[in-house]
Amino acid sequence: MRRNEPPERAALRVAESSGSGRGLSFGAAVARARRWLPLIGGSSVLGTLSMLALPLVLAETVDAAVAGRGVAAPMAAAAGLVIVSAACELVDAFAGAACTAATTAWLRRGMVRHVLALDPHRLRRFDTGDLTARVSANCADAARAGPAAVGAATGLLPSIGSLAMLAYLDWWLAAAFIAGLALVAVVLRVFTSRTTAAVAAYQRIQGAIAARLSEALAGRRTIAAAGTVERERHRVLAELPRLREHGVETWRVLAATGAQSALVGPLTTVGVLLAAGLALSSGRLSPGEMLASAQYAMSGAGIGALTGVFATLARSRAGVRRLSEVTGVPVAEYGELDLPDGDGRLEFRAVSVEGPLDGVDLILPGGTVAAVVGASGAGKSVLAELAAGLRAPDAGEVLLDGVPLRRLRREALRRAVAWAPERPVLVGATVADAIAPGRSPRPAARAADAHDFIRRLPRGYGTPLDQAPMSGGEAQRIGLARAWHAERLLVLDDATSSLDTVTERRIVDALTAPEAARTRLLVTHRAATAARAELVVWLEAGRVRAVGPHERLWAESPAYREVFA
Amino acid sequence: MRREIRYGLSGLRRRPTAAVIGWSVPQTLPATISGIVVARAVDDGFGAGRPWTGAAWLAALLLAAVLGAVGGRMVFLRIGDLVEPFRDRLVRRVVGGSLSAAVAGEAKEGAVAQLTRQVEIVRDSYAGLIVAVRGFVVTSLGVTAGLMSLSPRLAMMILPPFFLGLLLFVATLGVSAARQRRAVRADERLADRAASVLAGTVDLSGCGGEVHGRSLVAGPIAEQARAERALAWVAALRSLCFVVGGWLPLIAVLAASGRLVEAGFSAGTITGGLLYILYGLQPALNSFISGVGGSGLRFVVTLGRILDSTGPPEPVRSAAAAPTAPPDLEARGLTFAYGPHSEPIVHNLDLRIPAGDHLAIVGASGIGKSTLAGLLCGLLPPDSGTVSVGGRDVAGLSPLELARFRVLIPQEAYVFAGTVRDNLAYLRPEAGPGQIASAVDAVGASDLVERIGGPAATVEPSELSAGERQQLALVRAHLSPAPICVLDEATCHLDPVAERRAEAAFAERPGTLIVIAHRTGSAERARRVLVLDGAAVGEREPAQIQPAS
Repeated sequence: MRRNEPPERAALRVAESSGSGRGLSFGAAVARARRWLPLIGGSSVLGTLSMLALPLVLAETVDAAVAGRGVAAPMAAAAGLVIVSAACELVDAFAGAACTAATTAWLRRGMVRHVLALDPHRLRRFDTGDLTARVSANCADAARAGPAAVGAATGLLPSIGSLAMLAYLDWWLAAAFIAGLALVAVVLRVFTSRTTAAVAAYQRIQGAIAARLSEALAGRRTIAAAGTVERERHRVLAELPRLREHGVETWRVLAATGAQSALVGPLTTVGVLLAAGLALSSGRLSPGEMLASAQYAMSGAGIGALTGVFATLARSRAGVRRLSEVTGVPVAEYGELDLPDGDGRLEFRAVSVEGPLDGVDLILPGGTVAAVVGASGAGKSVLAELAAGLRAPDAGEVLLDGVPLRRLRREALRRAVAWAPERPVLVGATVADAIAPGRSPRPAARAADAHDFIRRLPRGYGTPLDQAPMSGGEAQRIGLARAWHAERLLVLDDATSSLDTVTERRIVDALTAPEAARTRLLVTHRAATAARAELVVWLEAGRVRAVGPHERLWAESPAYREVFA
Repeated sequence: MRREIRYGLSGLRRRPTAAVIGWSVPQTLPATISGIVVARAVDDGFGAGRPWTGAAWLAALLLAAVLGAVGGRMVFLRIGDLVEPFRDRLVRRVVGGSLSAAVAGEAKEGAVAQLTRQVEIVRDSYAGLIVAVRGFVVTSLGVTAGLMSLSPRLAMMILPPFFLGLLLFVATLGVSAARQRRAVRADERLADRAASVLAGTVDLSGCGGEVHGRSLVAGPIAEQARAERALAWVAALRSLCFVVGGWLPLIAVLAASGRLVEAGFSAGTITGGLLYILYGLQPALNSFISGVGGSGLRFVVTLGRILDSTGPPEPVRSAAAAPTAPPDLEARGLTFAYGPHSEPIVHNLDLRIPAGDHLAIVGASGIGKSTLAGLLCGLLPPDSGTVSVGGRDVAGLSPLELARFRVLIPQEAYVFAGTVRDNLAYLRPEAGPGQIASAVDAVGASDLVERIGGPAATVEPSELSAGERQQLALVRAHLSPAPICVLDEATCHLDPVAERRAEAAFAERPGTLIVIAHRTGSAERARRVLVLDGAAVGEREPAQIQPAS
């Protein structure tokens, strides 16, 4: 990784270089945590070793005390081991969490950056909720890659060590211990399969209750007007008794398997103790060593915790995979050029997009107001996206003032060209922020006829977006205001469709006013809007059927009139 | 934190609680007798050359393990009796609270997530907390008793540092809860912000807002990482408490072991004491710390959020008698704004809609047509002025009383999973098959009802289109006994032919009809038209309306 580059960039580079552009890899996620891993791994190994040594030292202390020898030396050793293992635990607890926190933040920044840099049409296969889950949940899972890998590598140490120590004390102890472990394994298997079934039934009913609630919430105006809240409450809660039945069933399963494991654990310990006691009788072990063997039996039985380590590892792998599905999508590429002087001349040269558009040639002189019309599926939105530089053509070129759009610097492109969609999604902390972050939103809002209704919002321009009740038409007007800054080309993709005719006329007035001069491309379904444009681009099945003034096309072609039917 | 603990305690009904505690005694038996049993096994058995005696003591431990398993099984069986009713109570509260809030106009986005996720977290953590706390209490009492009977002097060395560690941990709980709460909130803020930015990816690209979008999410990401690191310190603090409570007693016994032997303590007694620490107190403290520090904090924080956002269920007011004569609807000096600093949407409106009238309300989008409908229906309280129906102020009528006077069908038609009949007869549950059939026919929904499978068939709302849902809602309104009918864009997803037929059916229905529409056809069919133009509210005759070209 190169030095001195911002971490997000590094994230993407890792994402793109690993595995031939296949996105983030597990190795990259582990590598990100490399500063922390020696600390985490070291403390975990050291802590385990001191815990393994402690029973022997305890045994020596007890035996020394009983034999009347001095206990100072083994006592000091035991205290030292306790302190070391406690310190390791402390470091482990803190370093693991801090490492995960830092890695999570890094992954999240990288994900957001990557998604925002994608061409929109490549994003359509992910819905927003899914992407959000990837950023919020999957990033946190994936960030555990480093600590989980270390945990898996060191997780077996306590069990193997305990077994080795038992065998070292007396091999009968080890035999008794292994017999106990086999029982634990059987219990764990039974447990997972039975719980899953009980939990699945429980979740199904819970889902049904949730579905009814969300139905009722969506119908809140009807319910409010009908005064039927009470009835709705009963309807939503109708399945609650069944939920309780299944809930009780989950506890029953837990009780059965819990009881089995409660039996197996002590069984193992008692078995080892018995073997140790017999060894004590025959003089092969000291009383202290008998104590030590009980301890090894207990710490060795902690092998069940290993399933937790592997579960974390599996989750973090799954998290990485989910992230790589997104980071594996190549980002939009931009060039290094700036725009020369010009007035916004837009040119399509033999532009094709596989499927929707086929060999479109088009020249709009700077400052033109052009409408794009056509039946649905004719390719209007794709044409608008190409003009707005939101996607690159599969073949041909889209040029603004003679420069191919996608060879411009991103900042230069976005200053010159802006796009307003049919269903704008508003982003920002407040209404003002959604229109023009860092600038005054008022001129643009006035031009888009949004000023009046914004002033009626609870806190005017300062209203947080989630507290601003907005109709489709109002959102469209904000979407338009947001794009108003475009210096050379403004693209409206059916962006006034939800407005009533009066409001739309006012906005088209503002759009076509001389002081708003720049090239304007309006995708529309309305004849009245097409009539206000200087030129109409008539698309049919991905090709330009005709270009000309609305009146002429309207007069000459019945097929053209059909478009607006 | 007190409120949540009180709420949690109130869920501990006496009988199941007593059962859980009672069965905990055998459950913790292996831990509480282990020290004394091993001490005897060593001193009287294996160490004294009597292996059979030793084995017998160990057999007693095994018996204790069997009893422990039975006890554990019973504990988990009875814990459902505590946890499931507690969960039911929360589900009722969330459902009731979110429905009440929704009809009062406070849309809560998180209600469904609260029901599925937060309630489940509380359920699991409540169980975890009960298990951890009662396990700890019973085990530590048992171990104390065992230690006292083994050797009071040993007990006095072991117990003080143990309880000191416990106290230290309890003292950190306030800080932990605050940090946990902060982390949960940071998580939610991040998810909300990420969702809003990711939903607008295309829009941000189209208007050059990528950098702004990144910076919008960067803050919550950093805040969340800070909150996680703050939690890491809490975790470290907790391991420190365990060192004091779990390891300090061990060191104390070891340090004194020389003197103990001089005082006549046997190898078995010292071994037994150490075993009590390692096998009884350490696991008990460990599971208490992880249970209370994990489940307990999750419980307090999540339950707190549920309690914050929902109130206890409200009592229901009973319905009044149905109106006798068709009532007039009248607004006087009606004024409404969405906030104290925003411009009013309806300003000083006087409007009289006599019984039997057919009024269309038209106007530009965002002008306040739906707001006016909400005011006239008594769903929104006006800032000043009154709305009266049949001479009675709507502000004084309960929702059920209001429903006897008027029916409102909003743009987003409400169809629920249930039979077609239940959906149609929603506002007139006593309606007979003939009445339903004629309403279905009048509105033009016969084909639809037939396609679903007739009145007895079950409707799956997600399988209907928006227009089909509107048709069912229209039948419902037509069937309603209320004399005043308000259609708020209730036909916007129908095609013009279906819309005309539905509106004609409502025009023939006895009573008052108020139609809010954006299509000019609806206005042309009305007897009177109210045009909202933003500046002032005027009333004109239908002839004066210019159909927009």
